[in-house]
Amino acid sequence: MAFRRFTDRKKKDALLSDEIEAHLAHEVDANIARGLSPDEARRQARLKFGNPLVTRERVWEYRSFPWIEDAWRDLRFAMRSLAKSPSFAVIAVLVIAVGIGANTAVFSVINTVLLKPLTYPDPGSLVMLMNVGPQGSFQVANVPKFNLWRQQTSIFDAVAAYDQAGAGLNLTGGNDPEQLQGVHVSLDYFRLFGAPLAAGRVFTSAEDSPNGGRVTVLSYGLWKRRFGADPKIVGTNIQLDGQPHLVVGIIGPNFVTETPADLWLPFQFDPISRDQAHYFQVAARLKPGVTPQMANAELKLVADQYRSMYPGVLGPKTTFGVSSLQEVMVGDTRLSLFVLLGAVTFVLLIACANVANLLLIRSTARQRELATRSALGAGRSHIIRQLLTESLAISLVGGFLGLILGFAGVRLLLAFSPGDIPRVGSDGSAVSLDTHVLLFTLGVSIFTGILFGLFPAISTSRINLARALKESSSQAGVGFRTGKVRSLLVISEVALALVLVVGAGLLIRTFMKLQGVDAGFDTHNVLTMAMSLSGDRFQKTAGVAQIIRDGMDRLKNVPGVSTSAATCCLPLEGGFGLPFDIVGRPKGNDPNTGGAGYIPISWGYFDVFKVPVLRGRSFTEHDDGSAPGVVIINEAMAKKYWPNADPLNDRLIIGANMGPVFVEPPRQIVGVVGDMRGNGLNRDPAPTMYIPIAQMPDKVTALNSRIAPLWWIVRSPQEPHPLAKPISVALRESSGGLPVAHIRSMDEIVVTSTARQRFNMLLLTIFGASALLVAAIGIYGLMGYSVQQRTQELGIRMALGAQASTIRNMIIRQGMILATIGIVIGVTGALWLTHFLASFLFEVKALDPAAFIATLLLLSAVAVVAVWFPARRATRVSPLTALRFE
Amino acid sequence: MTREKTPAAGDLLQGTLDMLILRTLITGRAHGHTIAEVIERTSENALEIEQGSLYPALHRLEDQGLLASEWGLSENNRKAKFYRLTPKGRKRLIADTAWWKQMTRAIGLILGESAK
Repeated sequence: MAFRRFTDRKKKDALLSDEIEAHLAHEVDANIARGLSPDEARRQARLKFGNPLVTRERVWEYRSFPWIEDAWRDLRFAMRSLAKSPSFAVIAVLVIAVGIGANTAVFSVINTVLLKPLTYPDPGSLVMLMNVGPQGSFQVANVPKFNLWRQQTSIFDAVAAYDQAGAGLNLTGGNDPEQLQGVHVSLDYFRLFGAPLAAGRVFTSAEDSPNGGRVTVLSYGLWKRRFGADPKIVGTNIQLDGQPHLVVGIIGPNFVTETPADLWLPFQFDPISRDQAHYFQVAARLKPGVTPQMANAELKLVADQYRSMYPGVLGPKTTFGVSSLQEVMVGDTRLSLFVLLGAVTFVLLIACANVANLLLIRSTARQRELATRSALGAGRSHIIRQLLTESLAISLVGGFLGLILGFAGVRLLLAFSPGDIPRVGSDGSAVSLDTHVLLFTLGVSIFTGILFGLFPAISTSRINLARALKESSSQAGVGFRTGKVRSLLVISEVALALVLVVGAGLLIRTFMKLQGVDAGFDTHNVLTMAMSLSGDRFQKTAGVAQIIRDGMDRLKNVPGVSTSAATCCLPLEGGFGLPFDIVGRPKGNDPNTGGAGYIPISWGYFDVFKVPVLRGRSFTEHDDGSAPGVVIINEAMAKKYWPNADPLNDRLIIGANMGPVFVEPPRQIVGVVGDMRGNGLNRDPAPTMYIPIAQMPDKVTALNSRIAPLWWIVRSPQEPHPLAKPISVALRESSGGLPVAHIRSMDEIVVTSTARQRFNMLLLTIFGASALLVAAIGIYGLMGYSVQQRTQELGIRMALGAQASTIRNMIIRQGMILATIGIVIGVTGALWLTHFLASFLFEVKALDPAAFIATLLLLSAVAVVAVWFPARRATRVSPLTALRFE
Repeated sequence: MTREKTPAAGDLLQGTLDMLILRTLITGRAHGHTIAEVIERTSENALEIEQGSLYPALHRLEDQGLLASEWGLSENNRKAKFYRLTPKGRKRLIADTAWWKQMTRAIGLILGESAK
């Protein structure tokens, strides 16, 4: 209805014309009736009506979008005028495209990771159950906690446990055994996450109880890939770990899980379990109307209840709580993404400053044109609008290019660096172009267009008509004011670039420290691979010990293998921890003497990783189930708990208070080994206990086999990848047909573990380098322009006998003054801003003098180069041409 | 250039002209010429408007749905576009008239006329 006004304007105008004719005719009739002659009657009628054309024009105008039509006209004009100076237009568009491209890239990642809701129904009410303590929040859970949480029906609609498919399982029963990702879940898992069913059903309550039978639900991917999408598979058995499992259902194609899952198995928790091992996580859906605060208050009481049920396992300050599922998944990625966003904003600001400078140069050259238009009646606002339209044209075209650039860029970066950014899919495939990103880029484009265009437009439109028209076009109106503004722009470019380069410098230094850090073990020439030990054979320690013994015997004979070993968990990939007591020592207030990493290993482990045995001895193949229990500790543990005593005299009780699973007799400490940075190269080594796999309590072995695969580690004298095939074959044969998977060298694992740092460093370095380049172009442009403007002055100076070196130094000095001011401001800003980087740094302080000094030198050097060329050009001014120069 | 000739008068008239047009049409349908004559005559020629300026107002009111129109034959057997009030237009007239009376009374008070 409101739109009716803008439609059919031509037709309506014709009708209006008829209407006016009719009006005039009536007036003529009336005039004739009053006795006027026909001619006079017509004349009077016209006089009384006024100009019909004006009336029509007014109606026409009222039916138009004056603003949009003017804008369209301005835009066409802007395009024509930009096309007249293509080199300016191309440079400006490219600079803006780079700035917007970087922003689009970072924003599209932020959009995917932080802004997009989870793909589950009503994701806002999904929470993760957490253990909240003085050390932070952890999302691990055990069966008694889960059983207690599951009863809180006043705050939760559904509560479900699930693991991360850690152990994997083997799909057997064909010629091609395959290791699969089998996620264990509790009854309500599928309901909680709204998993769609493609066929069959999900687990029943009976199937998720102890002795509920062997059942599984397949993922859509596995069903298509391995079973040809045959719906008849539902209701039949497949062989997992050599045991028949009944397929009860198939989940639909669009169900995305945190850990990629091939199939799901029921946990079948024992409802009366007192098992204190934490090996899965629990998510829940809040009841409608229940806020996280309400849930937390309730869970505090639940924690007290838990404390009284299981005395001594929950610290006095530890409680339970909920965190939004999305927040838990995103984790600490948020901060690093915001730092990157800050960095790209700087890049964009520098780009804007640069283009603003270009525009100022251009508009001073256009003074005459603008003065002419102004003299012909264009209002000041009209000229500003015209100039702004030009800058918007630049920024919109730049934004479009930037969108393409940013999108290609983010794909490239994410593909290059595996990293551990959550929610981006494999190689960033989940990062997509959606309306959020499009709107962001459009918004940024318009904003930048106004940002870099407004000031030049305003300052240029302030024209002294008479002067501008009189003076020669190239030199008119180079006022003090615009000169000062341009200097300010260059100064801010330098300052912003300095902040970025300092940031990049700090991250580069961090990365170098990480590369140079002594991991405590030799990561080179070690091949690792996983073997899933799920199945009845591996419920007892003896079975696992046997498979390790057979495997190591077999590997001895594979050419190229120097030593081999097996372990529960690879360094840098996480592991277990257990509390311990030292026999004969008082415990004080805490339930246990201490806690330490708990790493079951085979003999040979320290040989493969070349970890020195500092005291006592290493494990041998004789440390098995029939021998007395032994444990080896690392130096960090020895220093912390035996600062003035000999640990080799003491015995440890491991896992006391952790429930019946962990009960075992005390172990004698038989050795102290060097520290490995097993929790991350950027973390100090934590106290760690190593125990022989062959001496683990059966129940711990059963648990272990369920939650983690067995990792084989093999040292070779050279690059170990060529050994992957013979080792896999040897291990498959020695184990009676178990496949190995996840074959990687330890060096690759080290690279993966520092991928985040490398990603941040790489990005910030790219941003810093582009900022530096753009700032250098800015200085160069300003000085070059000023030399050009002062050709006459320079010519006179030379004619009066000034030395070339004097002229050159003068120009360099002027350029360097700007650079120095920028550097001083930048350093001040960086001193404050680098604090935000503190958590990304390793062995480097936020105020690292080396990074700051190196940046200062680098920036000064770049500035010198950037002013050197204009300065040299200044010395080549020939006095004769200069004086004729107009 | 002409269009900016009498901006102040135009602005002042805009709102009141709308009201006058609506008021004229309360007795039934009329075409532009009649409307112009009625406004002129009933105001004792005090509001002499350029008749042409009537038409932008008529078209705007029609687009706002306050007026409806149809082509027909006039009293002199000429083709003409007739306008009439819509229910919405009637409501607007009532509201505008009330507002106008309130305003004139307020202004009268300020100018020192006794409130009657």
